[in-house]
Amino acid sequence: MADNRAVIREFILESITESTVGDDEDIFERGLVRSMFVMQLVLFVEQEFGISVTGDDLQFDNFRTVERIDELVTRKLAAA
Amino acid sequence: MPTVHVRLSQRVPETLAPELMKRLFFAASSIEEFQLFTEDGSVVGVELTLNSADSAGVAEKIDRVVAEQVLTQRPLAPRSVWESPVVRSEFTDAFPELLAQDTVVVSGEGQVGFAEPLISLFGYLDRRLRAIALSLEGAREYQYPTLLPTSVLDRFGYFGSFPQFPMFVTRLHNDIDVYADFVERYREEQRVPDDLFAHCSNTDYCLPPTMCYHSFHQYQGRELAGDSVITARGKSFRYESRYHTSLERLWDFTIREIVFMGTPEFAAECRNSVMRQTFALMEELELAGGCEVANDHFFANADTAGKILSQRMMELKFELLLPVAADRSIAVGSFNLHGHFFGESFDIKGPDGGPIASGCVGFGLERLVHAFLSQHGSDPARWPTAVAQEIG
Repeated sequence: MADNRAVIREFILESITESTVGDDEDIFERGLVRSMFVMQLVLFVEQEFGISVTGDDLQFDNFRTVERIDELVTRKLAAA
Repeated sequence: MPTVHVRLSQRVPETLAPELMKRLFFAASSIEEFQLFTEDGSVVGVELTLNSADSAGVAEKIDRVVAEQVLTQRPLAPRSVWESPVVRSEFTDAFPELLAQDTVVVSGEGQVGFAEPLISLFGYLDRRLRAIALSLEGAREYQYPTLLPTSVLDRFGYFGSFPQFPMFVTRLHNDIDVYADFVERYREEQRVPDDLFAHCSNTDYCLPPTMCYHSFHQYQGRELAGDSVITARGKSFRYESRYHTSLERLWDFTIREIVFMGTPEFAAECRNSVMRQTFALMEELELAGGCEVANDHFFANADTAGKILSQRMMELKFELLLPVAADRSIAVGSFNLHGHFFGESFDIKGPDGGPIASGCVGFGLERLVHAFLSQHGSDPARWPTAVAQEIG
């Protein structure tokens, strides 16, 4: 959902110095955030969307871009 | 010594039990021994043998470790990247026999010396690993001094992540009054005073917890002409509290290290190459084992869970695990990528003017010897022919 993407994008923008981030931009590969940021992303999506990210969902690929995070959230919400 | 049963304030899922076990001896120095108690798949209590009467204080510390450093972790499913084709069902605990023969000598906590044929085996295994390091293009070997400036560890926040490991080196403060006072007390008391450290002030040097920090220090503030590989073998030191065991876990041990500095792709390629060659060597040495995603032993830090999760999710660390008993394996080596962390921390630049990416591989040589002995026994006549021939 477009709304979820905006919320995810906003959270990332609050943590980086750049003022924009593309939905398909790899925020880790571009060096916008440190590796530790992945934990903040996990906690953020859990609290914001009321989902639980465990086991096989804890894949780095799920957190590289706004798009991938949104896909994970959508999938978890649909399964809930 | 009193044995007390402490009930945990919060249950710990069994998947996180190892994370609790490896922290307990660091939680309180009065814990001499411990055993976990489980109920319905969760750890609910710990039986402790204490050398003090303050069991309430110890229980409070354990609850804190559980709440801050264990339950905050998110267990990830183990991921294996290699499995040795060698299968082994029989193992030997050679240590008691070697001790009885004076082939190994325990000189202190986590400090073990050894004689032939272990010296030759140790040398042989290191030669093989050194050859892997030198097979990488442009690899150069260094022999470093033992002491490491404390400022080197300070530079990248080591003390914040691993406060439990570093061992410091100090000396009496160089002042005639300090020496005179110390000598006078020493003569009177006929022993080193309990408050020895009141006479010492220098903390400029520590013992290296691993070899790669020497290499990053070497290149601090420099610009590399191109991708670089360094290998070094040296004594490394970690305070392992009561976790020290035989040759398996020492406070004072030897690491063969390989450090890669350059582009992220170069660091990743070097790590892959060393992993492939190491796996082939394990097969040749007829050793059972595997390689899995792992994490460092972060401790006493609010970021512990985040550091472990990111390290495991990004597969920044793999460990080479060799079985030493039917139900137990030990890590004898690790294969790591650091991203630009050390390039930035030590201001090491590449030809493009940006910070270098790095990676490193470290092998614990005493542990490798220990795993080899556990699988092949201590009699050289029963070792793989290639090894027996080489060590003559």
